[in-house]
Amino acid sequence: MGKYLDKPASLKIDLMLRGIRIEDPVVQAWACGSSGVDILLPRDTLVNIPCREVFTRNSPYTIRRSGEDYFITDGRGEVPVKLVPKPAFCGGSTSTGVPFRDIAASHGSYTVVTPSKRCDFFRRSIECKYCAGNFNVADGPDRVYTVDEVLETVAAVLKEKTSGIIYLSIGFSPGDDGGIEFLKPYIAAVKKNFNCLVAVEALPPKENRWIDETYALGADSVLYNLEIFDKELFEIICPGRAALIGRKRYMEALGYAAKIFPNGTVASHLIVGLEPPGSTCMGIDFLTDMGVVPVLPIYRPSSEKDLRIEPLTTEIILPVYKHLYRAVKKKKVNLNWVRDLSMVTTPAEIRDLVDDSKGGLMDSFYKSRLGLKTAWGLSSLRRKLRVVDRDPDGEH
Amino acid sequence: MSVKIDTRPIWVLLGLKALRPLFFITLAASFVYIIGMPTPEGLTPEGQKAIAVFVVCLVLWVTNVIPLAITSILAIVLVPFLGVLSTRETYSLFGNEAVFFILGAFILAGAVMGSGLSTRVALYMLSRFGSSPKKLVMVIFLLSASLSFFMSEHAVAAMLFPIVLEISKSLGIRPGRSNYGRLLFLSLAWGCIIGGVATFLGGARVPLAVGILNEMTGRTIGFLDYAVAVFPLVVILLLLGFFILTRSFPLDIKGVEGAAEALGKRLRALGKIGYTEYAVGAVMVATVLAWMFLGRRLGLSSIALTSVVFLFVLKLVRWKDIEEYVNWGIILMYGGAIILGSSLHKSGAAEWMVNGVVGSWATSPWSVLLVFSLLALFLTEGMSNAAVIAVLLPASIAIADKLALDPVLVTYAIAVPAGLAFMFPMSTPANALAASSNYISMREMARAGIVVNVLAWVLFNLVAAFWWPLIGMGY
Repeated sequence: MGKYLDKPASLKIDLMLRGIRIEDPVVQAWACGSSGVDILLPRDTLVNIPCREVFTRNSPYTIRRSGEDYFITDGRGEVPVKLVPKPAFCGGSTSTGVPFRDIAASHGSYTVVTPSKRCDFFRRSIECKYCAGNFNVADGPDRVYTVDEVLETVAAVLKEKTSGIIYLSIGFSPGDDGGIEFLKPYIAAVKKNFNCLVAVEALPPKENRWIDETYALGADSVLYNLEIFDKELFEIICPGRAALIGRKRYMEALGYAAKIFPNGTVASHLIVGLEPPGSTCMGIDFLTDMGVVPVLPIYRPSSEKDLRIEPLTTEIILPVYKHLYRAVKKKKVNLNWVRDLSMVTTPAEIRDLVDDSKGGLMDSFYKSRLGLKTAWGLSSLRRKLRVVDRDPDGEH
Repeated sequence: MSVKIDTRPIWVLLGLKALRPLFFITLAASFVYIIGMPTPEGLTPEGQKAIAVFVVCLVLWVTNVIPLAITSILAIVLVPFLGVLSTRETYSLFGNEAVFFILGAFILAGAVMGSGLSTRVALYMLSRFGSSPKKLVMVIFLLSASLSFFMSEHAVAAMLFPIVLEISKSLGIRPGRSNYGRLLFLSLAWGCIIGGVATFLGGARVPLAVGILNEMTGRTIGFLDYAVAVFPLVVILLLLGFFILTRSFPLDIKGVEGAAEALGKRLRALGKIGYTEYAVGAVMVATVLAWMFLGRRLGLSSIALTSVVFLFVLKLVRWKDIEEYVNWGIILMYGGAIILGSSLHKSGAAEWMVNGVVGSWATSPWSVLLVFSLLALFLTEGMSNAAVIAVLLPASIAIADKLALDPVLVTYAIAVPAGLAFMFPMSTPANALAASSNYISMREMARAGIVVNVLAWVLFNLVAAFWWPLIGMGY
């Protein structure tokens, strides 16, 4: 057996770090030229594995096909895996002719919906150095999708019953609201039309009242991605975030949001590979102290942008993920929200690397459709109880 | 959208949610119990039902669980439903002159604000006379008061609030850390409150009180009569109020150059005064003069509504714009309060309650004035001033009748103190706005406010004892 093949969580991390070579023509056709492929590892562990970047050429991993079955092998051993079919909605388009895949992208249990690809950091040339260009419209149309187009897309996504959570994502826009004014009609429309959980991935607003409003509007979860905890590296790699928002404001906004949103629904990315592991661990401690879930994606270098610190191996970063699990458990941060994501290894997946517990009945329940419905119902009830209208009817 | 997130534990919030239905069930049970219990001696069955409606409305007005106007609608429905008054009589009370006076006053104030005249006057006064820190505070204080002589104090506070906020920002004073910030916002609030009791126009509470008085006794109070009766109180309160303000919060800045620049910029942005402002100003002046000198003969509401017609004839306002300024909730609330007051009086319930509850201590005219003015002043800190009048006035008129005291006097004793709420943000919108600026805390407001509250009560009774006899209103 290979080094990491026996533990799905460590295998996921190693695959995300090193990528995979796809040599089988059937699998190549299935991957369809995309930069990453979604594969289901043992124990229903979903992973998006890089397969086109240059660094993947040296990966020991390949996919082997045997009849109808697929295996990932590192040359010394192999594990059975399943290819995750592309969501059917990817082939559809809105009534206005916009392909759904331009608006939404599925990543396991959640689908990211991007109503606008605009990010003002690019216009000001202060974009984040690692950015893969999701929001860069410098060389493309500055298209803002209408609420109806987004609703059609969400309807198509939810029809497939694979994603129960819609992430509404937005880049940087000038103003104090962190983009919430722009997202407001989208959040309201999705909440009005569908019984699904909604997460908002935005930049921290300048005033906390916008966080209150985000929650009141119907967002069940919020992500303000700090990306890098180290102060100096943050300023170098994220010049726009550092200059126009500031690291301190990120911390304040995350701390405040953690008091407003339910336990485990406020998250922040810390990208593994852009700062020393020790610094990431400090970030994990800082965030979990506030009740925020650290989400640790692994940096994928490209031929144009290689910011990766070296050496970076699974041996080095595995302790960081274990530290993440222990910190989240110690601070009693709920693990049920951030789970089953193909692009990151979640604390729930690390569990079997740290202890022998299987997560129990509740863990299985929240993975089910009924669990998702329950989460939606409880989240809605909580909002109804917590949100107080400041403009009461009473006169004087 | 303006929201607040309640971060108390979920079980507390669930408990509080459960309280609401429990509250209504208990209230309904109390209502049924009062109606079903044997009628006490000296009380008519209609009176007993009127008391049941009164208790329900009292609880709802004090707790503000449902909007005040909706409580009034409940009273309007229950009074004929229980047979306290006939349906025809009940709804005809809604056509009371006070209700239409309030409607006219809302429209006139809307025209003044909509034309930009009030903002221009405010900015001019502030930039012309506010040349030093002390003068600037004094101008805000006096301007708030004098504008509240002619329009609702709530509207004045809302109109001046952004200007005062801009002044604070231009001076670079920080919320919660500057005495001058506290001074500016308390001057605004207290000026509005004191000015608001000076005439019928400062708030709808005096017209409401006069409406109840008129329905119960057939008596009324003239515009000028009222202004003359409270004039010394307003002047002394303005002087003492400013003294207390500047003593409680000594000046901590030296110059106001930044404010002058900001005010000048705003004034220049208004441009030159136009036809609409001149014409609205002229209509307003003519209306006030007519209220003063023709009010008794023509009726205050008729004058107000005539002016409203003129505004439209001269094309100075559009109905669409005016609708923003008419608070229909207040009009409904006042109509309901008048109906409730009349039902208590006509069914004999008010007199029965007075005999049973306050008859023992209300043995002389001066004690009636002392006690009711104190009650009104106390209650208005926690509940709507209109609700205070609706609750206290019917009973006080009944006791006045018993002691052969002029009911007009007790109307003053309740209507005036009901407007003097200096202590808490929830007492009046002017205080709420001042507190919302974060320049002054609730504790600071209450500490300074209690001094003025006590003074206002003492002064009111001194004015009643020494000034009113001089103008033929003695007791």
